Amino acid sequence: MEIKETRLEEHLITQEPYYLASGKEIEIAISAHRNCLPLLLKGPTGCGKTRFMQFLAWKLQRPLITVSCHDDLSTSDLVGRFLIRSGEAVWMDGPLTLAVRAGAICYLDEIVEARKDTTVVIHPLADDRRELPVEKLGELLLAPPEFMISVSYNPGYQSVLKDLKPSTRQRFVAISFDYPNPQMEAEIVCKEGGVDKKLADSLVKLAGMTRSLKESGLTEGASTRLLIQTGLLVQDGIDIHTACRAALIEPLSDAPELLAALQEMVSSIF
Amino acid sequence: MKPALLTERFYDLVAPDIPNEWDVEEVLESLIDESDHVCEAILGHIPIIWPVSHSLCFDFLRLLPKTLEHLNLEQIPRWIGITLDHYETDGLRAAQRFMQDDIDQYLSKLKGCGGLSLASIEKKLLPYIRGIARNDLQIEQAGISYTDTTSIYVPEELNFSPNNDDNFLLYKYILTFQWGFIACGSFINKAPSEFTHIECDKDTFWLRSFFASFEEPLLARDIYHCLESIRVQSFLEQELPGLMRAAGKHLFPLISLRNKNHPLSTLQQVLIEDNLKQGSLLDHYLSKRERKQYLQGQASVYDSINLSSKMFSKFHQKNAEYIPISPLPFQGILKLRAVETARKIKEQKMGEHFADMMAAYLLTLSRKELGDLHKEDKLDSGNEGLAESDISLIMDSEFAQTADQDKEAPILITINNEQLELPAELEEFTKNFLDEFGHLPANFLSSAAGKAGQAMLEQDVQGQTEESSKQKDTLLYDEWDYRRQGYRKNWCSLHFKELTPIHSPFIQNTLDKYHGLTIRLRHQFEMMRSQERFVKRQREGDDIDFDALVESISDSRAGISSSDRLFIRLKRDERDIAVLFLVDMSNSTAGWVNNALKESLVLMSEAMEVLGDRYGIYGFSGMRRARCEFFHVKHLNESYGEQVKERIGSIAPSEYTRMGPPIRHATSILKEVDAKVRLIITLTDGKPEDYDDYKGEYAIEDTRHALLEAKTVDIHPFCITIDHQAKDYMQHMYGPANYIFIDNVRKLPLRIPEIYRVLTS
Repeated sequence: MEIKETRLEEHLITQEPYYLASGKEIEIAISAHRNCLPLLLKGPTGCGKTRFMQFLAWKLQRPLITVSCHDDLSTSDLVGRFLIRSGEAVWMDGPLTLAVRAGAICYLDEIVEARKDTTVVIHPLADDRRELPVEKLGELLLAPPEFMISVSYNPGYQSVLKDLKPSTRQRFVAISFDYPNPQMEAEIVCKEGGVDKKLADSLVKLAGMTRSLKESGLTEGASTRLLIQTGLLVQDGIDIHTACRAALIEPLSDAPELLAALQEMVSSIF
Repeated sequence: MKPALLTERFYDLVAPDIPNEWDVEEVLESLIDESDHVCEAILGHIPIIWPVSHSLCFDFLRLLPKTLEHLNLEQIPRWIGITLDHYETDGLRAAQRFMQDDIDQYLSKLKGCGGLSLASIEKKLLPYIRGIARNDLQIEQAGISYTDTTSIYVPEELNFSPNNDDNFLLYKYILTFQWGFIACGSFINKAPSEFTHIECDKDTFWLRSFFASFEEPLLARDIYHCLESIRVQSFLEQELPGLMRAAGKHLFPLISLRNKNHPLSTLQQVLIEDNLKQGSLLDHYLSKRERKQYLQGQASVYDSINLSSKMFSKFHQKNAEYIPISPLPFQGILKLRAVETARKIKEQKMGEHFADMMAAYLLTLSRKELGDLHKEDKLDSGNEGLAESDISLIMDSEFAQTADQDKEAPILITINNEQLELPAELEEFTKNFLDEFGHLPANFLSSAAGKAGQAMLEQDVQGQTEESSKQKDTLLYDEWDYRRQGYRKNWCSLHFKELTPIHSPFIQNTLDKYHGLTIRLRHQFEMMRSQERFVKRQREGDDIDFDALVESISDSRAGISSSDRLFIRLKRDERDIAVLFLVDMSNSTAGWVNNALKESLVLMSEAMEVLGDRYGIYGFSGMRRARCEFFHVKHLNESYGEQVKERIGSIAPSEYTRMGPPIRHATSILKEVDAKVRLIITLTDGKPEDYDDYKGEYAIEDTRHALLEAKTVDIHPFCITIDHQAKDYMQHMYGPANYIFIDNVRKLPLRIPEIYRVLTS
């Protein structure tokens, strides 16, 4: 087994990622990059936000540095810190600093998961100053025009406590994502999951049913990503009922009644 | 058993009620010849039925000879449980009917002839059908299946096959099939162009007028129903092939036509035959093209209307009475009146929603415009027409010329002759309303204007708004009857009461008395507070711990293995806890106990203020199920101010300890709270007990059940008690390690904060 290693800031996407645009999002993002504006993507889990970023990075031919945010993420995790190497303190750039230096695209996934004091560090980068102060080094980095900062979040399930601060929010060009319309979604499932059109249509139908169960206790229905994963299992020879159970139903809920109801939907459709 | 003894036992069991002696003697007659063992067993059921309904209890005894013929003593408790369920859902008549007539059916079920109740699978089927339908359909019980487009009605129980898997499949198929009628638009309300001559008034569904236009409306209805059923089934073939495969394999072979000689039986047969046969069965009635359309799901509701009209003459026999065909189990019936009613309700609801939205919009307009409206409205109060004449909803006439462009035409509102465009959300809602009901919700405008006017008036008059936000002060809760293994529905009414704050030196005295303890508690609780602190000597962290680094370098120079814990990390301990204290205010706490409880609450509140956990304090007491009382001392989000302190001071023992309802209510409060840990801490001095039959095992089991309900929604109950006999029942109620017994009342104030600290850290 061979493991390929590349430096983060040199990581270029060379092959065109599959992305089916559902609106003018590509034009908007390219224009935002040209005008040095930061980008905010919002939408439910697994609807293609990250894939869109990959596509954009490929289209712009810039390295893409993704940071998955969590509530323990500190400013040092983003900007950088001193490490000890052979008895000496050595500075190590964080992903954000790396991205600024390399003129890359820095993508902070699920930004609301990070603590508010951490997200403030992107403020000077996300307005017309486009600078990143690295206090510990006493440096002020000016972002090159190629650099872009992009953040994403899912407005669906976060609590009020985890909303974006208006001062953060109001710096971005925002693009709203949702699950694609059924025809497009089926096309995506066909292409990515490697299943035939008929099966893809049925999977999309099933996803539509799960998405209408909010009142019944399912916070979020099946995402396009889950459909693709189901498709991949089927393509690998696993029968459709088992594949749906493993890749579509179980990941959605733990409530026995909901699971049973979802299982009944699967057995009705297939 | 001797009559006198029987009567005496009966009066004991129903005390304090004293029913009429004649009645009692009459109903107990049937027991005289029975053995003591049987009598005791039967009398044992009296306390279960009597409190629910006296007449039902008499009926039970009256019907006893027949019951004992059919059921043995072990079967009776379950049978009583079902009877009471009937009583609670459908009333006395239904319960009597069940007792009297349905015993055979009940027996056949007991003998293992299957039978699946809706109640046992509803939780599974409701999300299923909602998912399939992609809206919030309801499932309701009815003798025969049908849908009114907002709910699907299915039998309470299915006894279709001895195998419950088949019964389940039938339930699932009925639900899906009935949804099919909605999805396929079978309840058509708009006349097709060929039938515009059929007159129909506003409140009647066009379909009903259509059927009425035939010489034999029931025949027309049945033909249409059968055709639509075929259409629905073809639709399901395409939409849900898996379900149709299962139905074809397991359900259809079990279904036989009830009246094979009925002229429409062939149309029904198509529904349960396999694909090959279906076509040939329809040969006789439909042309090749029509057959294809129907069996491949390409037919529309208009085709069914046309065909029904055409086929009517084929089936209609003059001078012979038409007997409607009995539907197949899944087919159900077309209940157009129910659809009409549901539609009216929906129209009313949407209209009211519209009125609310419109009122909110009107309030955003300038006060002058609205002020005029309100003034005129008031001038002629009671005449809503005036407001309506000042404000109206129109569709822009330029666009509204052709029906196709309906959706593009902007909807305008005119207020005092001035035209305004509606905000987007309101406009979309109005258009949806137009789509669904064929007219604009103009008749709700006056109510919107009224509401807006009223709101303004209330804004002007201070304090009036508070009235509207006042909480409803009584709630009903179920109670668990362990003998019945079921709930007594809406059994207890819980009244919300306010404690009158009393000025008293109690708080100050307590604080003085426990001065040292308070300081210590504050300090202890401060340590627990959510805080950020730097922890040194970590393997990873945000910064270098230079002390550790220097040490490590000198270690390695000295040849000692050096530590790799060289970092400082910011550690956050977040407490996300919500807790409700439920204080027993029963009579038995009078004296020392009540004082100790109050002192504990004061110390606890002082400590909690330092800690920052959200906490609420409520007291409970009451007498009998109709008057359980829930006293507000401090709400979760209320601050610990003078009023709260005074309310703690005024906590006083009053009546009994019916624990179920307050625990259930505390659960419902905490359920809405978003916190990592949610606790209900009950402070009590003894067993749950009330003046009526809420005693002993019954009370303990109900309390235990209320606690289990809390646990299922992830709320942890904990109990602090000073009852010496607590160990006997506490473990059963709360589970091991979920209660603590304090032997010295005077230690209560010291122990409670300590217990809380251990419990939450």
